[in-house]
Amino acid sequence: MRAMTFTEAAREGLAEEMARDPMIFVVGEGIGARGGNFNTTAGLYDLYGEWRLRDTPISENGFTGICTGAAMLGARPVVDFMFLDFELDALGGIINQMTRLRWMSNGQVKVPIVLRGGVGIASTGPHHSSNLFSLFMHLPGLRVVLPVFPADAKGLLKTSIRCDDPVIFLEHKKLMNLKGEVPEGEHLLPLGQASVVRPGKDLTIVAISYMVIETLKAATLLEKDGVLVEVIDPRTLAPLDIATILESVSKTHRLLIVDEDFSPGGAGAEIAAQLMEQGFYELDAPVRRLNGAFVPGPYSPPLEAAVVPNAQTIAKAAHDLLVE
Amino acid sequence: MAFEIILPRLGWDMVEGALASWLKQDGEFVRAGELLFSVEGDKAIQEIEALDSGYLRILPYGPQPGGEKVPVGTLLGYLVPQEQLASFRFPGSDLPDSLKQETESMKGVEPAGVTAQGQVGTPSDDDRKRRIYISPFARRLAEGLGVDWQMIKGSGRDGRIMAKDVEAIATLLKPEAPVTAPSSIQLTPPVQPVMPAPALQPASSAARTVMSPIRRKIAEHMAKSAHTTAPVTLTSEVDATELISLRKTLKDDVASSGQAVPSYNDLLAKLTAQALLEHPLANARIEGDEIVQLATVNIAIAVDTDRGLIVPVLRDVQSKTLRQLAQESATLIEKTRNGTVSYEELQGATFTITNLGMFEIDSFTPIIDLPQCAILGAGRIVPKQVVVDAGAGRVEIRQMMFLSLTFDHRLIDGAQAARFLQRVKKFVENPYLWLVG
Repeated sequence: MRAMTFTEAAREGLAEEMARDPMIFVVGEGIGARGGNFNTTAGLYDLYGEWRLRDTPISENGFTGICTGAAMLGARPVVDFMFLDFELDALGGIINQMTRLRWMSNGQVKVPIVLRGGVGIASTGPHHSSNLFSLFMHLPGLRVVLPVFPADAKGLLKTSIRCDDPVIFLEHKKLMNLKGEVPEGEHLLPLGQASVVRPGKDLTIVAISYMVIETLKAATLLEKDGVLVEVIDPRTLAPLDIATILESVSKTHRLLIVDEDFSPGGAGAEIAAQLMEQGFYELDAPVRRLNGAFVPGPYSPPLEAAVVPNAQTIAKAAHDLLVE
Repeated sequence: MAFEIILPRLGWDMVEGALASWLKQDGEFVRAGELLFSVEGDKAIQEIEALDSGYLRILPYGPQPGGEKVPVGTLLGYLVPQEQLASFRFPGSDLPDSLKQETESMKGVEPAGVTAQGQVGTPSDDDRKRRIYISPFARRLAEGLGVDWQMIKGSGRDGRIMAKDVEAIATLLKPEAPVTAPSSIQLTPPVQPVMPAPALQPASSAARTVMSPIRRKIAEHMAKSAHTTAPVTLTSEVDATELISLRKTLKDDVASSGQAVPSYNDLLAKLTAQALLEHPLANARIEGDEIVQLATVNIAIAVDTDRGLIVPVLRDVQSKTLRQLAQESATLIEKTRNGTVSYEELQGATFTITNLGMFEIDSFTPIIDLPQCAILGAGRIVPKQVVVDAGAGRVEIRQMMFLSLTFDHRLIDGAQAARFLQRVKKFVENPYLWLVG
């Protein structure tokens, strides 16, 4: 195992898969010789050339549609949107065709595509800070993957590429330089398996994407007050590993969901509802959510800091829930 | 429109009180001005008149007579005009009266009905009496442990029962468990105990009862005084021979006129009032950073009742005649003993006199009744041999009494308090002096 950044780990996973399967190719703006805006493909152009690392014009709807067709014919495209926000220009084809073809063809046509893009508020303003997790959770046929740690980025990207259905692979911009130990070679993580990143007994916090990091900081603060929180990183929101969350809540009987994304109709609402349906009699307090403010990501740094949960606000929410 | 009956505010600082009893029956017609119910305030029971006419409908899930304190303004029932009587429903009740009674009788045969009814969405009668919030997990836990959670007062927000409350009660119910519950757990009397109340007491423990409102008030008040004042007690033996002879004279005089005889407390009040006028710092109180000297002398007289210590107040003692005082105190003490003293009659004292002489107590250390500055304790009057003239070697039998003055050293110093007590002693030994003023 070596320490590497999130981006390096994901890139290693992509490179290993491209070496294994010649049907894998990447399309996107600046992912060729330039190596990707976020270095997602750095160095790969030299290995595989422009046929497998295809730079595109700014035409998301067009190149995503081409990839859907290529996938139907047996290729395994990786569409690199740079920022998730840009994927919205291709959403019609994604929803109407890409995610539905498997059903519409009675299972005869597979559409193995990875859609990847940076998410999250990271000094990026209203047009480059979307999370939109629940939008994708709402689409049957789409896997929603959000790794937090470098090892998970590698293991989950490899699995996503091998998945026979479309996967949306969301990388929080604040995680891209996060370093961690990453296994060498074949490291595959199944989709739909949450990770208990910190064990505890007083309160379960399910944190989504970058919020895992802030929640771990909060957990350290809370431990000083004698509160032991169990932190769960769901790693994928679709499929959602409610069993792991349920098992944790059966131990702590309290659940807080921390999500930088908006609260209304959000991932936390879905987790809370499923937990209530399956684990109502384990709850010793109402399920609580802590979300980013229901506003577009602001550009001003002080405003930006104010709209996103952080270690302090998470610790406070945890304390509030403990006395509920 | 049905007229709401609520718990009234009996004094400006009253925030809660207990319904003592209904003076009319549920369903009875009540005319405006008739006595409707009685309220136990901080120290007094007061009867409340109906403000409107109508048929009394007592809120079935409202405060129970003799129960716990509730906030001022709590709904107790309704006075319903005749034309609305047939259609009257208590708010939150979706069942006509007749159906409700049926439900109640059904519940008698099947205790599990509470859960069953809850599931079909009809609030059970128990739920309406006292809405209890309990977390789903705590409820499951309680059922598993065999704990009747309806008896638990929860420690969560707004009294919600949490798992830890259930666990604490379960521990308490075990005979081998320690007697004390965590401080956050309070047992409240159940509305309809499914489990007999004595089961709550560990076998080895003494009897437990919920503090009466008066006991609780006394406890709070005394503890506050003990923790905030700087009390010092001075005692002085005084010769009460003249006081006794004065009282005898007064008694013989009023006996023929059929008026109240001034008691020793009345005499002490009058004499102390005179001393207080001369030493106004003992008739003062602390308000924030200021010392407030009060212009009138209102003396509280400690009265022992079967409900606890109650201290009604004699007002403007300095400007009243002894005869007026005797009349007033006799009425006040009678009202205090039978529980009809009003809230206002217990407020506004500037000084207190407490007398334990009838129990053969000589001297003691009374506790200051905040915000007052001092309290005077009177002991018994006993005949003693006293040297009245050391030079001539003359000894006489005199009627002697101890006075114990507890004062708040925050307000006045030892010498000032001693001078005040010395002045009281002088008046007791020469009671005619106060005539001079």
